Amino acid sequence: MAAVLAIQDLVKVYPSGTRAVNGVSLEIQRGEFVVLIGLSGSGKSSLLRCINRLVEPTSGRVVFDGADVTRASRAELRRIRRRIGMVFQQFNLVRRGSVLSNTLAGRLGYRPAWRTILGRPLREDVAAAFENLGRVGIADKAFARADALSGGQQQRVGIARALMQHPDLMLADEPVASLDPATSHSVMKYLEEINKKDGITVICSLHFLSLARRYGTRVIALKAGAVAFDGRPDAIDERRFKEIYGEDAVEVEIGPERSQPQPMSATEAALAALASDPDLGGIADR
Amino acid sequence: MAEYFVARGLPVPAELSQNPLTHWRRLIVIALSLGVVYIGLRITKIDLSSANPEYAAGVIGQLFHWDFSILTPRDEFETFWDTAEGQMIVTIFLGIIATVFAIIVALPLSFLGARNIMTGNVLTGGIYVVVRLVFTIIRSIDVLIVVIIFGVLLGIGSAAGVLALAFHNVGVLGKLYSEAIEGIDPGPLEAITATGANRVQVIWTAVLPQIVNPYISFTIYRLDTNVRLAPILGLVGGGGIGILLFQSVNLLQYGAAGLIIFMIVVTVALMDFASAQIRRRLV
Ligand SMILES: Nc1ncnc2c1ncn2[C@@H]1O[C@H](COP(=O)(O)OP(=O)(O)OP(=O)(O)O)[C@@H](O)[C@H]1O
Ligand SMILES: [Mg+2]
Repeated sequence: MAAVLAIQDLVKVYPSGTRAVNGVSLEIQRGEFVVLIGLSGSGKSSLLRCINRLVEPTSGRVVFDGADVTRASRAELRRIRRRIGMVFQQFNLVRRGSVLSNTLAGRLGYRPAWRTILGRPLREDVAAAFENLGRVGIADKAFARADALSGGQQQRVGIARALMQHPDLMLADEPVASLDPATSHSVMKYLEEINKKDGITVICSLHFLSLARRYGTRVIALKAGAVAFDGRPDAIDERRFKEIYGEDAVEVEIGPERSQPQPMSATEAALAALASDPDLGGIADR
Repeated sequence: MAEYFVARGLPVPAELSQNPLTHWRRLIVIALSLGVVYIGLRITKIDLSSANPEYAAGVIGQLFHWDFSILTPRDEFETFWDTAEGQMIVTIFLGIIATVFAIIVALPLSFLGARNIMTGNVLTGGIYVVVRLVFTIIRSIDVLIVVIIFGVLLGIGSAAGVLALAFHNVGVLGKLYSEAIEGIDPGPLEAITATGANRVQVIWTAVLPQIVNPYISFTIYRLDTNVRLAPILGLVGGGGIGILLFQSVNLLQYGAAGLIIFMIVVTVALMDFASAQIRRRLV
């Protein structure tokens, strides 16, 4: 099976002189759930952004589904980008816009600019937006302002927006770093679902190894911009862990899915339980 | 304070033992400031000896003997618009029209003057630098000087006043608008770009919703300022009630001048109040 994404000798040097990505080569197969880990500043965000050229790589090549991203013209790049969804740590929704309009934004790459300016989305796009919002369990919030939603809900809008692109690849830059443990799991489960059900390849950076082990089919660790580990999640033992995170690091567990160590209120307990259920996860952090 | 360091066997930081006021750099600043004031007093020849207190008192008295005849047309050739209140209304509209003209030019230019939109390639980066430079140059020329120049170019009157005020405001509004764009949250911009949207779509979807409120707020602030500036324009040939004021002072009609000044003060106070109210409701 052909790799959906091939990265060759990728280097990113910022104008400040920082070598954020230092010669990364990777092949990612269709259907993988790749978790990117590494210390803060190890280059996870830079690598992810080089893939869709939100950050312009300094040298090296990125090939997405046979198309050379790094050499693409502006128009070609937009056609490539619309098949690569992306979700962000800070959700990056247009705060004053409605949930629906934020979701519809995922279709922009397929539609002419005049339609955007006239504010007349296609009927089929609106229908698709409701469908995708329904998938992440917030169709009833469609007309709420984006910044009126909780963090977990906003990230689900971010996922719905990305789904509108019909992506082959989903990039997620620390999608749950601003969320509490229970909500983190509810969001991760949607990423897991689109990976398993829709066959969308996911590359997701995470801060917690426990989450990486739970959701990843493959873990890639970055250290100082280079790949320090690439393999199955269960192959990361104590020694490898210390290699990636340094000698002084201790592995911590992000809150478990079903129960929490501290006593919980009845609602919290219910939420945590819901969050761990993929079918009910939609109402977990309401 | 030094005991803390001594007790722990640490070197005492030099900063602790210095009196900042006697530090040599501060002494130089103080000496320079005093020098500037001394030289300034010497060369500007501020001299009150030619002032006549009794005459001044008389003029001030006359300023309050308001001449209400300027509130009605003087002869059959004059209309309401020649009266002081008519000219006051005209003046307010001079300020409003000047603001509208300035918005029409500054609004599109402000996008070209926003760094976060224009970075990426050399051409747009160059445009950004030029646009911001133009804003700065325009802004740095005082509006009264612009009116005088426009008065020479276009002839004394409302056209010179309005266009001069508009010109100056292109610089001011352009900078304020551009900075509003530069202050937006870059997150949505990044996210919308990542969906494959083009530049126009990114601006429309991610930038516009974030700048509407600051734009309205800045515009009302400038509208307020321009309506206050408008009466002064007439003094240097820009049309409006300022011309009436200038004439009555020249003709020693201090009763009329006093009333006009009072009308301007009331108008400015009302504008101030209205603008504060509207802007408060926006945020
Ligand atoms: N726009 C930029 N300009 C200059 N240097 C940058 C820029 N963005 C990131 N860097 C630098 O590049 C290095 C890698 O940063 P990056 O954000 O990719 O790391 P990260 O692994 O995502 O870290 P974190 O876990 O904190 O998000 C850091 O040293 C950072 O300071
Ligand atoms: Mg990061």
